[in-house]
Amino acid sequence: MVRVSGALLRFTDHQRVINVDAPTVESGLVKLAGEYRPLRQVLFDRQGRVRAAQKVFLNGEQLEPDQLACAAGDADCVELLLAISGG
Amino acid sequence: MARSYAFEVPVDAGFFTPLHLQPAAVCRLAFDGAGRWLGRHAISHRRLVAEHRTGLVLWSVQLVPGDPVGFFDGDRLAVRVTGRVRGGGTQLECDVEVAGAAGRPTRLRACSVPLRLDGGPALSGTPARLGPQVLAAFHPDEIEARPHCSPVPGLRAAIAARGTPLAGRLTPFVIHRHQCEVADQWFWPEAVSLAGSGREELVRTEAERVPALRLAMRRPASRLDLLLVRPFFLFDEGAVRTTASEWEGRLVFVHELRAGDETRAVAVEQFATGREAA
Repeated sequence: MVRVSGALLRFTDHQRVINVDAPTVESGLVKLAGEYRPLRQVLFDRQGRVRAAQKVFLNGEQLEPDQLACAAGDADCVELLLAISGG
Repeated sequence: MARSYAFEVPVDAGFFTPLHLQPAAVCRLAFDGAGRWLGRHAISHRRLVAEHRTGLVLWSVQLVPGDPVGFFDGDRLAVRVTGRVRGGGTQLECDVEVAGAAGRPTRLRACSVPLRLDGGPALSGTPARLGPQVLAAFHPDEIEARPHCSPVPGLRAAIAARGTPLAGRLTPFVIHRHQCEVADQWFWPEAVSLAGSGREELVRTEAERVPALRLAMRRPASRLDLLLVRPFFLFDEGAVRTTASEWEGRLVFVHELRAGDETRAVAVEQFATGREAA
């Protein structure tokens, strides 16, 4: 399950909770971005890395970029949080 | 000599309360003025974002209302802005005066922090220095090495140490799009509006028990200090935790704008009492 909030909502058609079937956090994010195409540019840079301003939490614990390959199952909750935007 | 930008705006009734200028309206005018100063003397806000991938996020605001201005006092408000860079390019600060037909102007100082935008459509970014090309647009007397320091932590500590608490209340809110800017992130003057809601709810519900609170509906604040820690976003649920105290002969309100246990902004409003207000 992925929870989306705040400035990211408009990229998921304002769905806040989305079920994603994937073996790891990273593959789940890729799959999510495949289902919600506008989210792809928001989550990933041109090299396919998760953007630095995008914070990813697994069951409340923030994941560092090198931890995104960790396993995630049906009972886990991944939360996406955009810390700040600048206009 | 530090450069300024001056302009006038026709008044509309929405700028005012029955007592003075709306604090949030002053913040919006100040933001507009800061954008004009930046565009005239350094670089337009749009170019800053589009070409230099640099956004700005408000961090600290001090508002000192001048002599009361009302809707019927004149057709226009005069706005004057000066800008500077502080802290080695880590802060952009503006001083703004909003004046009616006569009397002392309302003054606002706002300090923003540059963000290096990561190029995504959500305008996400991380704090960074202004780039050398942007810095070069500022005159030497518009660059100050010392960083801006928010007075809010010191004020809170002094009020907690020597103030007498009068009343407190939690006022919940949800952020909706009309309160946001282009990135579905709250537009920072909304912090001032939410703090005002917290104060007025406290007066509405507690003034029978604590009549001294009514002063805050009879007079405009004599000073407002705001510290923005982290923005609220669309549909974020939060609450204003407002505490009223008597402190150094003033009625003061400390507003913590919180999401759960996280404090995202703090506003301190001071209302002069007795001789000080005269």
